[in-house]
Amino acid sequence: MISRLSSRRRLAEPAQPSLLLLPSDSTSPPDFLPCLAVLLPSLSISSVLPAPAQPFLLPSLSPSFLALSLRSSLLTAQPFLFLSLSPSAHSSRAPSYSRHSSQQLPYSVVAPHINKEAAMTTMLRELRLSLNQTQRVRLQSALQSLQEMSSLASTITVVADTIPVNHEDSILKGHGTSDLNGEVVATLCGVVERINKLVYVRAQRARYKPEVGDIIVGRVIEIAPKRWRLEINFSQDAVLMLSSMNLPDGIQRRRTAVDELNMRSIFEENDVICAEVRGFQHDGSLHLQARSQKYGKLERGMLLTVPAYLVKRRKQHLHHLQQYGIDLILGCNGFIWVGEHVNSHGENDSAANRENREDAVNKTGELQVIQEVQEPERTTPLEVRQHICRVANSVRLLSALGFNLTVEFIIDTVEASISSNTDIKDMLAAEFYVQTAEREVQRRVSLSRKH
Amino acid sequence: MVGLSLGEKQFIHGGIAQDLRTDGRKRLHYRPISIETGVIPQANGSARVRLGATDVIVSIKAELGKPSSLQPDKGKVSIFVDCSPTAAPMFEGRGGEELSSELSVALQRCLLGGKSGAGAGIDPSSLVIVEGKVCWDLYIDGLVVSSDGNLLDALGAAIKVALSNTGIPKVTVILGPSPNDQPDVDLSDEEFLQFDTTGVPVIVTLTKVGRHYIADATLEEESQMSSAMSVSLNRHGHICGLTKRGAAGLDPSVVLDMISVAQHVGEQLMSMLDSEIAAAEAAATQEQ
Repeated sequence: MISRLSSRRRLAEPAQPSLLLLPSDSTSPPDFLPCLAVLLPSLSISSVLPAPAQPFLLPSLSPSFLALSLRSSLLTAQPFLFLSLSPSAHSSRAPSYSRHSSQQLPYSVVAPHINKEAAMTTMLRELRLSLNQTQRVRLQSALQSLQEMSSLASTITVVADTIPVNHEDSILKGHGTSDLNGEVVATLCGVVERINKLVYVRAQRARYKPEVGDIIVGRVIEIAPKRWRLEINFSQDAVLMLSSMNLPDGIQRRRTAVDELNMRSIFEENDVICAEVRGFQHDGSLHLQARSQKYGKLERGMLLTVPAYLVKRRKQHLHHLQQYGIDLILGCNGFIWVGEHVNSHGENDSAANRENREDAVNKTGELQVIQEVQEPERTTPLEVRQHICRVANSVRLLSALGFNLTVEFIIDTVEASISSNTDIKDMLAAEFYVQTAEREVQRRVSLSRKH
Repeated sequence: MVGLSLGEKQFIHGGIAQDLRTDGRKRLHYRPISIETGVIPQANGSARVRLGATDVIVSIKAELGKPSSLQPDKGKVSIFVDCSPTAAPMFEGRGGEELSSELSVALQRCLLGGKSGAGAGIDPSSLVIVEGKVCWDLYIDGLVVSSDGNLLDALGAAIKVALSNTGIPKVTVILGPSPNDQPDVDLSDEEFLQFDTTGVPVIVTLTKVGRHYIADATLEEESQMSSAMSVSLNRHGHICGLTKRGAAGLDPSVVLDMISVAQHVGEQLMSMLDSEIAAAEAAATQEQ
């Protein structure tokens, strides 16, 4: 069933199941291992991931699937196999309405009704934490109060909900909708948006949707003629042209063949780079530029990956936290860089790095055993490193809880951990987890009281 | 596995040298372990162990079989590990075979003892039913669902927990008229024999990065290792098995030092696993 995975396709994030499809005569039992879940954007197999069991309540379905679901709900500890379809999110920028309206889904559509209890238990099971009873109760109550406070709860549609539409008007069915027996039906879980005659469903948890001017963090995976290819947690790799990058000597000039041969001295494979989206190529992949001093190679730190929808677009994405002496870059694609502060991506830094790299190559010859690398003169001091670890752990914690990542929130969490004397490694433990959820509840309650 | 840039590698090395790893742990500190038992109801015993993002499932099935003619008074135990493609795309098809066989061999060496069966964590003579004729064949299957480093420790812990969850049906033997006949065995559905897992060893893997050793390495830290040594220790602190991985050579004094560090770390891991097993058993009996 599963075709080979192309190495360029990334593992999709475990998005909420958007549509459950089964062949109408499916009798595959859910209790075999390994179990696989396949995400099919635009009806093409792209990635594979496991999923925890989700006890669905299914209103009306084929008997084989009912049996399947009942068994899965009884054997709740088992990994469950489900097929999920999201005809959308990242395929093409301009929505092609005709394609959707004429799409004939080959399988019978079943409608999982995902109730809040099920979602809560799934989330708790997805956490790799063992909570004791009191912690579980506290966390559940905190999550429930957060859900109640969120204003979007009333406008969310679930898969196979009918979208109320005035049939006399000519309606354009956009992404996330489908025509079923003359009714406009949602195929995604999300919010219904209406713009003039266009009706579409915007998924809450979608893949990264790039826009021009986004600041992103990427990793170089290939050096191609006159360009670098970066991996950016998107369905396709982004391209950074040599002409969109400042040369090390800083002079603005035409790139020659010698420059092309020396590309590796600017960025190598596996380097982490901060850049800005310049535009789109014809096939939908991104074009980047890194001309400013604030963009460029990132060193002396670590890269974290969070779901892209947790990073909202703000005015500023490159933050310099002065009280800790660290740089925090919130890439819109979900790559977060936390590292020691670098004054400028100027000549001094790049010269020193080039020296270190040459030393390493000379010392070890061909086999680059990393232990023989000369220690750079400036190792990260312990205090800065502790702050980096604290910020990184708070980012991991907030992304596990599903909160939007903003600098203020991250700093708040770090301050709370310092003031409560939590050890850095205990920030990922159950107690601090529950405390953070409760703190956020209190913050939102106090905010709503002010208004 | 994604590559790491030079700056990230230096950051990891510097952190380990300063005793502060990327997630704030000290060098010899384990990630939080979460254990679930009975995840596969059809198997005689099963367990799922999560060590950070590493996720492994072990299932134990017992089948009736004939003991080998060389050792007629012992049952048979076989361990096999499979790396699922959900852990990494490269495990699809035959890509995971090398890692699977490496893990299987390492586990066999650590848990099954020598050829004569001496020093085994699981006593095979307890598996025999009728000497020379009928014995239990124990099949221990491990599945790597998600890999974030330190698979051997997770699998060792999962095997220990799964053994504590295993119930072998009680057997009543009906001997045939002549001693050469195959005896009839009657499996009871009600009564089960449990294994005593206090004697089962745990595996502690120490990864050498630079000049320091770390326990419970993540995938990134493992990519920076020069060598790794997995020591299997039982309750008394005795070494039941040793496996060394990695390209770099180790000085014998370094090996002895790593073993003593592993003994110290293994004590804490063992006591933590034992308490988790007891808690899981208590929860299971409560549910019943």
